[in-house]
Amino acid sequence: MYYKFSSFTQKLTGAWASDAYNPQGLRPVVSTEAPPIIFATPTKLSSNSTAYDYAGKNKVPELQKFFQKSDGVPIHLKRGLPDQMLYRTTMALTVGGTIYCLIALYMASQPRNK
Amino acid sequence: MTHQTHSYHMVNPSPWPLTGALSAFLMTSGLIMWFHFNSLILLALSLLTNTLTMYQWWRDIVRESTFQGHHTPTVQKGLRYGMILFILSEALFFMGFFWAFYHSSLAPTPELGGSWPPTGIHPLNPLEVPLLNTSVLLASGVSITWAHHSLMEGNRKHTLQALLITIMLGLYFTLLQVSEYYEASFTISDGIYGSTFFVATGFHGLHVIIGSTFLIVCFMRQLTFHFTSNHHFGFEAAAWYWHFVDVVWLFLYISIYWWGS
Repeated sequence: MYYKFSSFTQKLTGAWASDAYNPQGLRPVVSTEAPPIIFATPTKLSSNSTAYDYAGKNKVPELQKFFQKSDGVPIHLKRGLPDQMLYRTTMALTVGGTIYCLIALYMASQPRNK
Repeated sequence: MTHQTHSYHMVNPSPWPLTGALSAFLMTSGLIMWFHFNSLILLALSLLTNTLTMYQWWRDIVRESTFQGHHTPTVQKGLRYGMILFILSEALFFMGFFWAFYHSSLAPTPELGGSWPPTGIHPLNPLEVPLLNTSVLLASGVSITWAHHSLMEGNRKHTLQALLITIMLGLYFTLLQVSEYYEASFTISDGIYGSTFFVATGFHGLHVIIGSTFLIVCFMRQLTFHFTSNHHFGFEAAAWYWHFVDVVWLFLYISIYWWGS
């Protein structure tokens, strides 16, 4: 029987072996260097060997570096092509829709002769 | 190279306020087209452009805060004031509907049979599904508090688990309410009882869906390591909103379901 300290009840509660060998809050050391590419045998990234692999590794530091590039591009276009496409689609639909709406309202305001 | 010498956030020029305002215009006009001319195209377009605006606006806020670091303590304070004022405005919105309910139910007219519930209306039993709904939302309030404490303690696994439980409870509430709406013996067009019941509970249900969506976004952000143990205002805002939704339900339950039956 393994035990862990429950931060919720503030007592020891039963736990599985995985909790004993990978205690809560203690992260295994993950190398940030890319492993050397060996074409002969398949590579195994060290991050895959941790017991808890929630959605891969932390990409926030690289994203921080990327978005802090001082290239003068506004935040809503900073990622380049995908941002541009989405922006243009949104603008086209919104402005196009407004023109369509104004025409529809103009037509709706015409009296209907019975 | 110039740097700002203050702790405020000077936002890049953004197109989203314009697209948001235009999509609101399309939404109101779309409702007119639907009600009076039986055409859904404008309304559908407005919902699409509104969703696109919201997605990109909030995506940009995440970029500005988590990736660019613009959310200093000063900025965060402003966001806190903003969220509190917004929730207060929503509380006042609901107070209007509670006013309408009490106006009609405290002095029922002869047309209703002089009684509340009106003659012929068979209200839902407050001790059945509505009571279950109350316990579901109260439990979700507990689980979100657990999630917050786990987040502050740096316990990633528990934060994710507790957030997931909160989201599941929110979805369970929504499903239960949908089945109640289907099973009810009265409709929105059944006089003032139907109107007050479905408008008040309907707007509440919409807010549960909005709150659940906010929590799902927080879940995804927690998965991708956006939150730190001492800076996670997005999560706190979601938690505040969720508690607000819970409190509104308690008022609804006591007033409309219990006292009103």
